[in-house]
Amino acid sequence: MTLSGGLTRPGERDRPIIKFMEVDWTFCLVLALIAGVGGLMLFSIAGASWEPWADKHLLRFGVYFVIMIALAMCDLRWWFWSAYPVYIVGVILLVAVDVFGHTALGAQRWLQLGPIRFQPSEVMKIGLVLALARFYHGLTADRARLSWLLLIPAAMIGVPFLLVAKQPDLGTAILLGATGFAIMVLAGLDWRVITAGVVGAVMAVPPFVMFVLHDYQRNRILTFLNPEQDPSGDGYHILQSKIALGSGGLLGKGFGLGSQSQLNFLPEKQTDFIFATLAEEFGFVGCFGVLFLYGAVIFMALRIASISHSHFGRLAAAGVTATFSLYVLINGAMVMGLAPVVGVPMPMLSYGGTVMLTVMVGFGLVQSVRVHRYTEVTSGKGSLL
Amino acid sequence: MSEPSIFFFEVNERQGVFHRRAFLLGGFTGLGLLALGGRLAQLQLVEAQRYQKLSAGNQFNYRLVPPPRGLILDRNGVSLASNRPNFRLMINKDKDLDAEAVLDDLAKLVPIDGTRRARVLKELDRAPRKAPVVVMEDLSWEEFSRVNIRAPELPNVTADMGEVRVYPFGGAFAHVIGYVAKASDRDLDAAKDDSTQDQELLHNPGFRIGKQGVEKAFDKQLRGRAGATKTEVDAQGRVVRLDPAGDIAPTPGKEIRLTLDADIQNRALEVMGEESGAIVMIDCRSGDILCMASAPSFDANRFVKGLSGAEYKALADYERKPLLDKTMTGVYPPGSTFKPTVALAALSAGVDPTERVVCTGGWYFGGRTWHCHKKGGHGVQNMHDAIKNSCDVYFYQMALRIGPDPIYTTATALGFGQAFDIGIPGQRKGLVGSRDWKKKAFKRDPVWHPGDSVPYGIGQGYINVNALQLATMCARLANGKRALNPRLIKSIGGVDQPHGDAVGDLPFPPEHLEIVRAGMAAVANDPTGGAYKQSQLGLGDVLMAGKTGTAQVRQYSQTGSRSNQGIPWRLKDHNLFIAFAPYDNPRYAMSVLVEHGGLFGSSAAAPRAREVMRVALLKDPEIRARIEKPMPLPPVDDAEFSTEGAAPDSPTEGPAAAPSPLPGVPQ
Repeated sequence: MTLSGGLTRPGERDRPIIKFMEVDWTFCLVLALIAGVGGLMLFSIAGASWEPWADKHLLRFGVYFVIMIALAMCDLRWWFWSAYPVYIVGVILLVAVDVFGHTALGAQRWLQLGPIRFQPSEVMKIGLVLALARFYHGLTADRARLSWLLLIPAAMIGVPFLLVAKQPDLGTAILLGATGFAIMVLAGLDWRVITAGVVGAVMAVPPFVMFVLHDYQRNRILTFLNPEQDPSGDGYHILQSKIALGSGGLLGKGFGLGSQSQLNFLPEKQTDFIFATLAEEFGFVGCFGVLFLYGAVIFMALRIASISHSHFGRLAAAGVTATFSLYVLINGAMVMGLAPVVGVPMPMLSYGGTVMLTVMVGFGLVQSVRVHRYTEVTSGKGSLL
Repeated sequence: MSEPSIFFFEVNERQGVFHRRAFLLGGFTGLGLLALGGRLAQLQLVEAQRYQKLSAGNQFNYRLVPPPRGLILDRNGVSLASNRPNFRLMINKDKDLDAEAVLDDLAKLVPIDGTRRARVLKELDRAPRKAPVVVMEDLSWEEFSRVNIRAPELPNVTADMGEVRVYPFGGAFAHVIGYVAKASDRDLDAAKDDSTQDQELLHNPGFRIGKQGVEKAFDKQLRGRAGATKTEVDAQGRVVRLDPAGDIAPTPGKEIRLTLDADIQNRALEVMGEESGAIVMIDCRSGDILCMASAPSFDANRFVKGLSGAEYKALADYERKPLLDKTMTGVYPPGSTFKPTVALAALSAGVDPTERVVCTGGWYFGGRTWHCHKKGGHGVQNMHDAIKNSCDVYFYQMALRIGPDPIYTTATALGFGQAFDIGIPGQRKGLVGSRDWKKKAFKRDPVWHPGDSVPYGIGQGYINVNALQLATMCARLANGKRALNPRLIKSIGGVDQPHGDAVGDLPFPPEHLEIVRAGMAAVANDPTGGAYKQSQLGLGDVLMAGKTGTAQVRQYSQTGSRSNQGIPWRLKDHNLFIAFAPYDNPRYAMSVLVEHGGLFGSSAAAPRAREVMRVALLKDPEIRARIEKPMPLPPVDDAEFSTEGAAPDSPTEGPAAAPSPLPGVPQ
């Protein structure tokens, strides 16, 4: 690199062109590949037509990509500074959605702001990561390991978790909870607490399922345990998805030839179950390739997290990665019949703007961490403690 | 920038923990991805075939093509039950079916009233998933095409052409052929575990199951085997593409040919008019049943469509019982038509046919007077006269003398008291009294009293028969030799069914039979015979022999008034007549039963027998040739003048009676 020598000069790294060069372009390429595969599948299931999904999907990706790059250029200190405000705004919006929210499909998730309709829980996905990263940034290793102060991050996770679970949007709530927990672990939580947390969560599942869940949520879980029990009703999604996957075989039925998705046997084929469409048309080879791309994204993001010089940057990038990984794992498991049907899409692949925007904003943060990996972030006077 | 708030070793420790933990969590994620890959391998590589099969099962659908039901024909190939096209409108039940909305849409195209709407909604509620429910049948072509044009906008709606059973003669064959109807829940339950039955076909909306008569007895042969069309369908069940190469053609049901003759049967029903009763005719050489009519009848086509409760109730409650098959399910006292049997029994028991009994119009026995139907009596009667005049006193005394057992033996040999294997269910055996029978039937009075024999002699008391038995008896007497059995099913799917004449001879000497036959001939042809006027066929020398019967269904008053005037229908006498013709070379034997006719066998039953017999005779080419044969020019050989020895005097009136000599028996 011709520039590398000059990067040691003070202020050199603040130049926009340098920042731009510092963006991880390989990472961006992999993201574009995944989004491209998504567009291809959407084109296929619409009957070889850009309408109504593929064109919008790719257009959105383009717009969000620009947003991502723009966010990548934002100084990490700005992220740091905005962490708590974003989190607080997120909580306020979640409360607002509880009060004024739009009800869709039996759940209050949407908030209407003029012409824009959005889910505050998405804001919270970024807000929680930022807030936790900022909190731990000012915490010693000892305290992060085990201290009464840890009740604060626990509360920071608990409040949005409960608000989202109440909507009810169990999938997102679990996603938030698990992401928060992952950041606590990464920050150095004591193993005993981790063990207790995991064991407690596992033990809480059966009573939670039996007494707290809504009927339709409980049915989804019971159906997951025995999908053949009601193949035309609740088990239909899982069964048809497994048929689509399995019938793909090694090489798939061919582009545009997936009978399960083309003939509408596969429900939600363009959103939550797009991976099944991919599996049907491109088989094991195609699926494995896409899973490999996801693995690459996760690996690269974690690497970015680990080379950051600031604790805030590390935890923020790792938190976003955790959210992304959870999306991939939960959706994959659901499509393959390993997890109950929860409305978690496959990021970048599934049609739908909200999740893609969240993920791309998150990756903007990750890229910013990379671009500003040498930036010293200080809590300064803004330190909570 | 102020100085760092965290000391350097602290930073290192936090960074170290983060690196280890990040490595760990990254590893977990990697494991998770690997697990997904493993699951993919399991589904896509190991179990791929199973899922490919399921996928094909989703994608391709075999639509059942119901087989055309086998035709039912008469002996000459006239169609008695066939199929006609039927345009149907159906709704397929589906998960996200909004039945109300679909019916609203349909109501704009075809008339759907409130009751129909309610019925369809109810049936849709009960039907299994994806099962079609019939909304309307017999759409007009306009309605059918109107719906078909809109088909793309009407998901879950199918308009197709099916077939429906039709009975061209309506009611004339309703009892023999029966009818088909929608399979009831009971039928479906009964067939559920029967692997020989096509369950899918049974549930097909157009499918009808045989419910009575031939349709029921030969249901499986008539059904055929369903075919299928291979179609590619989407998740809503809409056909995306047809695949004619994968179609399977249905196998039509077998054709069943009956021994019945549509012309004879129709005439029989016609002559019954409003009366209730039965007419059975049997070919007395082969045993083929040519006519088996029960009146009044009902329109079997109504049952195919599905009868309303009110309609069914009207049929079931009607006093003359149209739903009852009076040819074999109804049993009646034979009355005087039993006298030939008693005469034969007497001959077998050694009674001299020339022995005379004096009839004074009544006979005192056992503390009461047994009346003869003729006030004042018949005078001196031998067996021939007694049959001819139907003299009750003669037969009272004969029955008393020989007792019940010879009568039982003879009656059984002639076909009474048994059910014949004619292929369709519903025959009642009736009753032929005997000492043994009474011992079993009457625990408190197991002894056959002489007083039981007396009415037995005139076909009353412990004797009940059906019209089919009467006709069979008559056919056996007529052919004078063979104990032939009646046959109804001529062929199934082109395969001839066993004939009714492959049987042994009657256990009676020909002389005995001849005496009885002569008596019957006199009934119809002796001007003093019981039914002389009503039994003239008007077909030249083709003559009919017969025997009347009037069976009482109530105790006559002690004054002996037998008037049927002014008493309720159900208490009136039954009128019967048995006959065979031509007398000199018997071909057709028949029985006519007019239930509660309220007249006499001669007046209510004999004319009807004559009309039906004429149709049969005129349809028979040999008989026709004999009738139409030009009169030979005289002079003729004297020997040709003598008619058959036992033949009665030729009728003296009518043009047909005039002809001089006619040849004897053409074979």
